Amino acid sequence: MSKPKVGFYWCASCGGCEEAVVDLNEGVLDVVEAVDIVFWPVALDFKRSDVEAMEDGEMAVCFINGAIRNSEQKEMVEILRKKSGLIVAFGSCSHMGGIPGLANLHDKESIFNRVYHTVPTIDNPDGTIPQVETSVCGTTVELPEFWDTVRTLNQVIDVDYYLPGCAPPVNLIVGAVTAILEGKLPEKGAVLAPDKALCDECDRRESKPENLCIDEFKRPYQIIIDEEECLLAQGLLCLGSATRAGCDSICVKGNMPCTGCMGPTSRVNDFGAKALSAMASVANANDEKDVKRIIGGIADPVGSFNKYSLPASYLHRKVRK
Amino acid sequence: MGKHIIVDPITRLEGHGKIDIILNDDGNVDRAYFQVPELRGFEQFAIGRRAEDLPQITSRICGV
Amino acid sequence: MSEQFEPKIVAFFCNWCTYTAADLAGISRMKYAPNVRVVRLMCSGRVDPQFILAAFRDGADGVLIGGCHPGDCHYQEGNYKALRRFHLLKPVLEEMNIEDERFRLEWISASEGDKVQKVINEMVEQITKLGPLDLEPISTPETLDEMLEKEQEIAV
Ligand code: SF4
Ligand code: SF4
Ligand code: FES
Repeated sequence: MSKPKVGFYWCASCGGCEEAVVDLNEGVLDVVEAVDIVFWPVALDFKRSDVEAMEDGEMAVCFINGAIRNSEQKEMVEILRKKSGLIVAFGSCSHMGGIPGLANLHDKESIFNRVYHTVPTIDNPDGTIPQVETSVCGTTVELPEFWDTVRTLNQVIDVDYYLPGCAPPVNLIVGAVTAILEGKLPEKGAVLAPDKALCDECDRRESKPENLCIDEFKRPYQIIIDEEECLLAQGLLCLGSATRAGCDSICVKGNMPCTGCMGPTSRVNDFGAKALSAMASVANANDEKDVKRIIGGIADPVGSFNKYSLPASYLHRKVRK
Repeated sequence: MGKHIIVDPITRLEGHGKIDIILNDDGNVDRAYFQVPELRGFEQFAIGRRAEDLPQITSRICGV
Repeated sequence: MSEQFEPKIVAFFCNWCTYTAADLAGISRMKYAPNVRVVRLMCSGRVDPQFILAAFRDGADGVLIGGCHPGDCHYQEGNYKALRRFHLLKPVLEEMNIEDERFRLEWISASEGDKVQKVINEMVEQITKLGPLDLEPISTPETLDEMLEKEQEIAV
């Protein structure tokens, strides 16, 4: 039997997801042994035309990382959808929009204005901005259309599975690849990670009081962080109770609060709202004045609760004025 | 006008790139464009975020 | 638009107080604007922030939460939870360009039918002035192309 064909592709992402694949170390050899990689721009020289020439459904699975925020990414993922039996949204950006999704607090105009006109490092005396088409020497040079709104992969094409994380943990990638090869996948639409909260697998959970009450939210630079005690109990904004497990709580192990890259469990739709609710409920105040003081200690709520998930949230982008 | 060669995507490196090469009638390179079709807008959306988040946010400019 | 804009307001009312008050307002024939869709919950503490955002996403121009006065919650703490969530949601909504007047929390006891009337009429008046909440719908693979066309018209 011929080996199943597999593709990897990236959209609005940082390349960290590709690194996660490389982090399989020798394990990557097993993957290469078991499958035929037919598209992977970061590592292998295949062109768009090679993908276009494939039969529909020729690839068994394509892993796509990155958010979708321009016309080229849309075209590519639409082609890959046709050519691939399964599509796996790989990493926070394709799962929920990721950090590039924070651009939904702005729009194309303000981003172009900042990037091409006002940022201190720009030198652009003619005020040039990218054009979709430019005529030169009797031919046309093209650039993709930049969108006003960043989108998750499943807002653009039908997605079969999700591998969460920024970047996805190696053991989850191995688990997903194994499940695909053995045909042991859960029902369509599933997130391929444990369906429980991060706190449940955190080494510090014993020190998290059952009825946690915070008198003041602290920021990491304001305290010497204890390396054993629950970070939330120390007043730090740790989103572990709203976040899906599966990363082995690496940030917490590094003495940094969880910021929610794995997204929510299956019982929650809007990660940011859930995280917000979890943090609000530990504020130790009933009186309006105290509530305002404690809650006011949380800087940048929209960015802190939706650091990786704004395009996937119910509000998904700033209302246009 | 001569030939217009498009290399898309350029591969085996991190990042999105495309090269347009326009040849003249003699087959020599008239113009060549290296295009980076990728923009995410970190310069804009990093503003207003918590200072302690910036090491994590800016490391997603390039994760390689 | 020649047609007068009628704001849609979703109200989450606690069964024990505000919902009863709204009933009372009805029985006492106190007139309040008919723009409100009331969702009855057992306590204001049951109002998950997801409900509020989902209401806005699904077309609400304003959201009102009504609960028991401080100290009167039948579940001791529910209204305090609502208060904390409210104050944390406010800056989120502000960042997303959803005006202050569109989201309100009020303590209304079972006997305060007149307060239901007053709060709703006020909200309707303020939101009518603001106009509809123009939150872009979230695209799906099926609606994407249509939405991108619209986006092109708006964006530079
Ligand atoms: S809140 Fe953070 S530190 Fe505390 S148990 Fe949960 S994940 Fe661990
Ligand atoms: S601790 Fe939180 S932010 Fe860090 S990798 Fe795990 S889920 Fe992501
Ligand atoms: S019972 Fe009315 S607010 Fe809790």
